[in-house]
This record gives sequence, C-alpha cells and structure tokens, in this order.
Amino acid sequence: MNRKRLGVLGAFTTAALALSVALVPTAKAANEIVVWADETRGPHLTSVFAAKGDWVPGYTIKVVTFSSYSALGDALDKATGTSGPDIFVGGNDWVVASAKSGKLAPVTLTASQKAQFTSSQLYDLTYGGKLYGVPLDINNVAMIYNTKLVPSAPKTFGDMVNFYQANKTKLGLKNGLCVTGGGMSWGGLSFFSALGADPYLMTAKGKVNTVQGFNPTTFGTNLKKYLIDPATGKSNGFLASSNTTCNDDYYAGKVPYSVIGNWEWATYVAKGFAMNLMPVPSVDGGYGHMFGSVSGAFLTSYADKHGVAVGAKSLLANFFGSTPGQVAYEKVEGRPPANKGAQSDPGVSDAQKGFGAAAALSGIPQIGAILDNKAGGSNYWDSSGDYWTQTLINGKDPLIEARKLSKIWKANVTAAKALI
Amino acid sequence: MRGKFALVTKIIFLGITTAILALLTESAFAQKQYVIGTFILVAILALNLVYLTSISIPFKFFLPGILFFFGFVIAPIFFTVQMSGYKYQTGNYLSKSAALEQVLNLGAEPDAAGTTFDITVGKTSSKEDAILVSDIANDKYFLSTATKRTEVPKAAAKFDANGVAIAAPNFQSMTAIALAANDAYSRIHYTYQGKYYIAIESQNAGGVFRQALSYSANTGILSNSVTGATYVDNHRGNFAKVGSPSEILSPGWRAPIWFENYTRLFTDHQIRTPLTRVFIWTFFFALFSVLSTFALGLLLAIALNRKMRGRRVYRSILILPYAMPSIMSILIWAGMFDSDFGAVNSILHTNIHWFQNPSLARSVVLLVNLWLGFPYFYLICSGSLQAIPSELLEAAAIDGANPRQVFRKITLPLLLQILSPLLIASFAFNFNNFNLIYLLTGGGPTQTLNGEIAGATDILISYTYKIAFGSKTFQDFGLASAISVIIFVMVASISMYGLRRSKVMETFG
Repeated sequence: MNRKRLGVLGAFTTAALALSVALVPTAKAANEIVVWADETRGPHLTSVFAAKGDWVPGYTIKVVTFSSYSALGDALDKATGTSGPDIFVGGNDWVVASAKSGKLAPVTLTASQKAQFTSSQLYDLTYGGKLYGVPLDINNVAMIYNTKLVPSAPKTFGDMVNFYQANKTKLGLKNGLCVTGGGMSWGGLSFFSALGADPYLMTAKGKVNTVQGFNPTTFGTNLKKYLIDPATGKSNGFLASSNTTCNDDYYAGKVPYSVIGNWEWATYVAKGFAMNLMPVPSVDGGYGHMFGSVSGAFLTSYADKHGVAVGAKSLLANFFGSTPGQVAYEKVEGRPPANKGAQSDPGVSDAQKGFGAAAALSGIPQIGAILDNKAGGSNYWDSSGDYWTQTLINGKDPLIEARKLSKIWKANVTAAKALI
Repeated sequence: MRGKFALVTKIIFLGITTAILALLTESAFAQKQYVIGTFILVAILALNLVYLTSISIPFKFFLPGILFFFGFVIAPIFFTVQMSGYKYQTGNYLSKSAALEQVLNLGAEPDAAGTTFDITVGKTSSKEDAILVSDIANDKYFLSTATKRTEVPKAAAKFDANGVAIAAPNFQSMTAIALAANDAYSRIHYTYQGKYYIAIESQNAGGVFRQALSYSANTGILSNSVTGATYVDNHRGNFAKVGSPSEILSPGWRAPIWFENYTRLFTDHQIRTPLTRVFIWTFFFALFSVLSTFALGLLLAIALNRKMRGRRVYRSILILPYAMPSIMSILIWAGMFDSDFGAVNSILHTNIHWFQNPSLARSVVLLVNLWLGFPYFYLICSGSLQAIPSELLEAAAIDGANPRQVFRKITLPLLLQILSPLLIASFAFNFNNFNLIYLLTGGGPTQTLNGEIAGATDILISYTYKIAFGSKTFQDFGLASAISVIIFVMVASISMYGLRRSKVMETFG
C-alpha cells in the first residue's frame, strides 16, 4: 500500500470515528432520574413535572413515554442495567414477574407514608415480604346506569334483568349490561361475584380464605336463571359478552347498565351521563366484588447502577406516594388516587371519589399469586373468559361448566397458599 | 469525472457505515455484549479492507450477504440452540454474579418494628460520610458513620420546623446538589445497634436493617443468620434451601440444564399433550394448505390456459388477493367472520360465532389460507403449463388419449416435476405461517375449562410464541428455544427429503 493511499485511509478512518462520536447520543446526566410510563401516563407526568420539577432537590426528572402499555411491558422485559429506567409506572400484576427476575428493588416507607395507604394497596405491590413501589392510583370498575332509561338504582341483579326483559322490545334495547372496563375477566369479576362465584374469598381479617371456594351449584343455577334463554340454552342477551361496540350502544341509549373503568369516566361525563357509580348488585341484594387493585410507581434495581437510587427513592416518597404529588398528577390523569390525603382533596373530582367509594364498598385485592396460578390447569383470566364462551355462546350446561370452574379456582388457591 | 464521483460516493457511504457500526460496537462492548461487539468490529475491518483495497473483487459482491447471513441466520440459530440447553425463563434471566448481588441485597431485613428515622446527610469534621439521625419519637439524636455512633445532646443540635436535627457539632450537612452528584454515601451501612445498621432510604429518611444473608465464596454457601437456614447452588439456576430443595431464592440465573428442555417435551404431561395435538394440526394445516392452494391454482390455470373472451381481466382479478398485503387481507377476513358485525353472518342471516368453535375456527383458517395462497400457485401453474411442449399433448391426443388421460399421464407429472421444490417450500412456509394464525384467531379458541392449554388453531410456531412471549407473568425462553430447534430440524428434514425426491423425479423426466 503506497503512502498516498495510507494517508487517504488514515484520513478516512479518522473522519469515520469522528462521525461515530458525533452520532453517540448524549449520555444520561449523573443526577437524572428516568421514569418510564405508557402513552397516557407519560404525557401526563411530563406536564406535571414541567409545571413543577423540583420534587427532589438536586435531581432532574426525565419521562420516557411508550406507545402503549404493552410496549412499556415489552421494553421492561428487554431492559438491562444500561438501558433500564430508574422508576416505572405500571399495574400491580407486574410485581411478581419483575421481582422474581431481579428488575425491582425494595423500598421502605416511613410510618407516616405507610399510613397514607391501605394495607391491601401495599399488599398489592409486595412480593416475598418486600414492598417494591408506592401505590399511585386505584384500578377498579363501577357500574353506572342510564337515568334516561332507568329511574333509580337497581337493588338486585334480578332487578336489572327484569328491566331488560320487560323493556327489550319497547325501548329497542340491544343488551342489558355492558362491560367496557377491563373485559370479561377483570371487569367481569363484578357479575361473576354478583351471581355467586369468586376466585377467592377474604376473611374478616383481610386474609385469603384458603379453605372455602364458591358453590358451583348456586352459581350455575343463578346463571341459568338470569342470563340463559331457556329456548336456546344460550345467552338471553342481557350480558353483552361479545358486543365489542357495547359502549356505543350505551351512549345511544340502547343499553341501560354499563360496567366502566375508572379511567373512562371523563368520556361518559362529556357525553352527558351522570356518574351514579355503584358496584354491580348481587342476586341477594348485596354487591358483587370487584378488583380494587392499584397501579404503582416501582423502583428498579437499575437505579442503583445509575447512581440515582436515593433520588429515585426520594421521588417515590416526595411525589408518587405523597398527597401533593398525587393531587397534582391525578388532576391530569383523572383516576382515583391511592393516597388517602389525596382522595379527600377538593382538587379530586366527584367521579374519582365515586370510584374510590365503590372500591371501598366491594373491592378485593388482586392477588397475582392466585389469579396467575395455573395449578388447576388454567389461570383465572383464561378460565373465566372460557366460562362465558362455553355457557353464553356455545350453550353448554352452566352447572357442569361451573363445577369445572370451581375445581380450577380451588386448586389455584390451594397451590398459592405458600405465596400469600 | 464519473470515476471520481463514484470514489467519493463510495468513501462517503463507507464512512457513514463505518461510523454507525463503530457506534454499535461501542454500545455492544459497553453493555458487555462481547460476541456482538467483536462481530461488528470484524465486519468493520472486513468492509473497509474489501472496499478500500483490491484484495478480492468477488468479495465486494459477496461480503454484505455473508455478513447478513452470519448476523441474521447463523447467529440466531446458534443462539437458539444454545438457549435450548439453558434454564432461561421468568426468574432466571440474569448472570449468576448479578443474581447473587440481588439476592444479597434482598437479604437485608428491616427490624421487626420497621423503624425509620429522619436524617440529614453530611460529613464529619474528619470528612467521613455521616448522617445526623433524629429519633423524634424518643427525643434522641445521634451522629452515625460506617464505624461508630455518637450521641448528640439535644441542646447541641439545631432543628428545622419539623423538629428534625439539621446541624450538630462535628457535623457539616451537604447540599442537595452535592448529594445528587455522587450517591456513594447511600451504600454505606451507618452504625446503629448491634447487628442493625441504618440504610439511606431517601434524601431525608433512613431505615433500620440487618444483613440476614451472607455468602461464602469459598464454600458457595448462602447463610441466613436469622433463621439459620443455608442455601446452595442447585445447579438449576437458583440457590435452594438445604433439606428443602423446593424452597428457592429469587432471582435466579441462566443455568445450563443440557437436554432437559427437550426431554420435558416428551415426559411432562402438561407440555406433551398440547404439543402432540398442535403438531398433528400443524402438519394437517400445512399439508391441506399446500394441496388446496395448488389444486385451486392449477384448476384456474387450466381453465384460463385456453383462449377466451376477457381472459386478461380474469387473470388480473385472480392475482388481486396475492397483490394485496396479506396482513390486510387477514384482518379483513377476521372482520368478515366477526360474529356481531361480520359480513358473513350478515349475508347468511346467522349469528354463528366462527372463532369460538374449534371446528369452525379451523375451517375458517383453512379457507382464508386458500384465498391467500391460490393466486401464487395459479401464477406458477400458468407459467409452467405454457412451458409444456404442445407437441406432447397433440401426440397424446392423436394416439387417442382423452383430456383426462392427457392431464393425468402427461400434464400433471410434468407440472409436478417443475413445481416440486415450490410445493415443498410452500409446505415449509405454511408449517411456520405465524401471521395467519396470530392475526386471524390468535391460536384460539382454547377450551381451558376442559384442560386445554394450546388453542384449537395454534400451530407449532404460534404455540412456541405463546410459551416464549404470550404471558406477562411467565415466559420460558429455554423451552420455546427447544421447540424452535425441533421445528427447524423437522422443516429442514422435510425440505431436504423433498428436494432429493424432486431430483429423482428430474432424473426420470
């Protein structure tokens, strides 16, 4: 190789390396706390931090927004010590897998911080005796009814079914009850429970009753009585189990009752519906249980590697778990805050308070160790969805299917005994 | 002039490529991905050597292909085979050293009361890291460093509005900015009582802990000083309790378990039963798809092989399903079979739940795949039919063969000879037709109440996907890798066998 060519090569290599340095993204600042959130929480957090950024003196906060909740989950799955966040905001159902995989780091709250949350909320974010985040907001559903169709709140499940049957033709009703919040498994617990089936029962002391399951005969009989058309052996149309545009039918006055998620209320209010929120009434005049789980802000094990563990813990304490922080955030996010002080703050809307009240009335903790367990052959999420399909759509005997369901759920509770 | 322009363009293009690859190399090494980093480094050297010198002209054409082949074909196969021999699942993602570090971190236990204190962080007069602790409940204040605890009389301290001590003799508090710049102070165990120490929990709070778990590198034993339990490496990616091996500590690490993922496929009932069912359906699905698309494509090709009015229009229409992106077609079909709003139920005046019944769902899958696949075989059959010498057909007709005999004895064998490799390729494609299943049925319906784990329309690749990525709560990459390897071996074997057979037929021809 002659000297001229060597010179060209040297110049070329230098230029290429210089370009590569120019392409290197700016390194993360030493005192920057990185928070990952989904497409709704991300912009809301960004706006809150833009308005007030000094929640942790000496640190700056950077919010990374993902295109969806599942995109956030995928990114967390792939996160490494270099790429991972210091804090992320997600559902309590991520705790077990993330903690087992070493992605989370434990946090310790002071007594006054703990007092701002219920023990059930803290339990939701705990795995193996360690708390991994602070409860941010409550995830639950509640039922509303269209006052233009139904004058007063139903007392029992039967009241709702009777109204539907009596007015189906006269009012041109398409269904009786929609489940727009959380689907037929998560949101659907309300009427599973209202009809007599719970994946687990809680004792008066707030522990899981690992001995008692639900009575499949009672549940199956209720289902047959209230939801099955005797002529076809399939759905009588009251429960919109496969109507994917049921919320549009509710807006149009073609469905009298709807189970909605607490992140949806603003849409209904904007359309002029009253927030007459209540749990789904049960067949005997009580209320069906609903999952009253929480979303949390979680501390990752990466924060320590990034040298911002103290800053991240302080952000959890000063902002995510605090009354002023949750008031500021939930004013934009619109969910019921988990913090007790924030719940009673005048800045929180009546709808947010209504969901909180419904959760207090019939909420049960969402215990992943039981619900995700497959010891019975299937987990709660898959088996509950299949139950509706087999009975309401495929016309199988509700009692026989209820026995199968009961067996699966009982086995899952038994298998999870050691973990709860 | 053109030569100079080409040279400048080449140098610019190569410069940008080298810069990007150098950036990736740096990133890979920074993330301790040494194999990837080394590969990219070799690629940089090879690219510059080949394109800046005249060392080998053929390599200028082959090199990008070779690099992509190694990077995106050989390396993933190698990685998949390697991972199939590991316990690589939820709870076992980390390296052993990282897992041990985490286990020890989790081995710090708070005291029974969960005691926390307000603290002020700073340094002693001898520049040692220290915290000024306010035990407000007991009206006690003390200075704590890594080595000692010094009581501070209340009268000697200064307090903020909340009654938290912020200044004391022999103590200088640090500003928030100074603390944020370096958080090494947060890793110190500040002296409290006996085995208990104070750990920093935020800028102004500390918790009381003791280190329950300790690790001996010499013996490889983890000991819990509180319970007396000991844990050893169970050689399956976890520390397990001695005397009770089912009690394991999290997180675990990726550990080699050699052929266990493969043997589980045959010995674990929970895996074997669904896998057998899925395998049978996959084979049937792939075979039926090839035969049906080939039969319909051939039928249409024969029908349009003769001159008729509007033949070009018919041909154009028949190619349309092939011209449209398959993802769009599949989603449209999924919408058409929707039970509430689908066109199919609307036209038939029915309310059939197509995707809730296993038989109906399978029929829909086969039907949609027929729609997506027949234009391809129509196209290649049309071309192949025109390649068959007309003399052969005319001679057969003169010899008295009827059209059916001509087709059976001459046209079909000749077509099969030409199309055999394509039929095999189509079988292999359908064996792994993930898009169709994932977008149309998601593998369902799954009758979980009857103990089913896999969906009725799940094929091997969609079932493997479910095992690896389908659940947020449990993912088993090791098992999924083992199934992937088996799929690879099967498809490769079938393809090899088929190609050999087609060569045999070629010889006969």
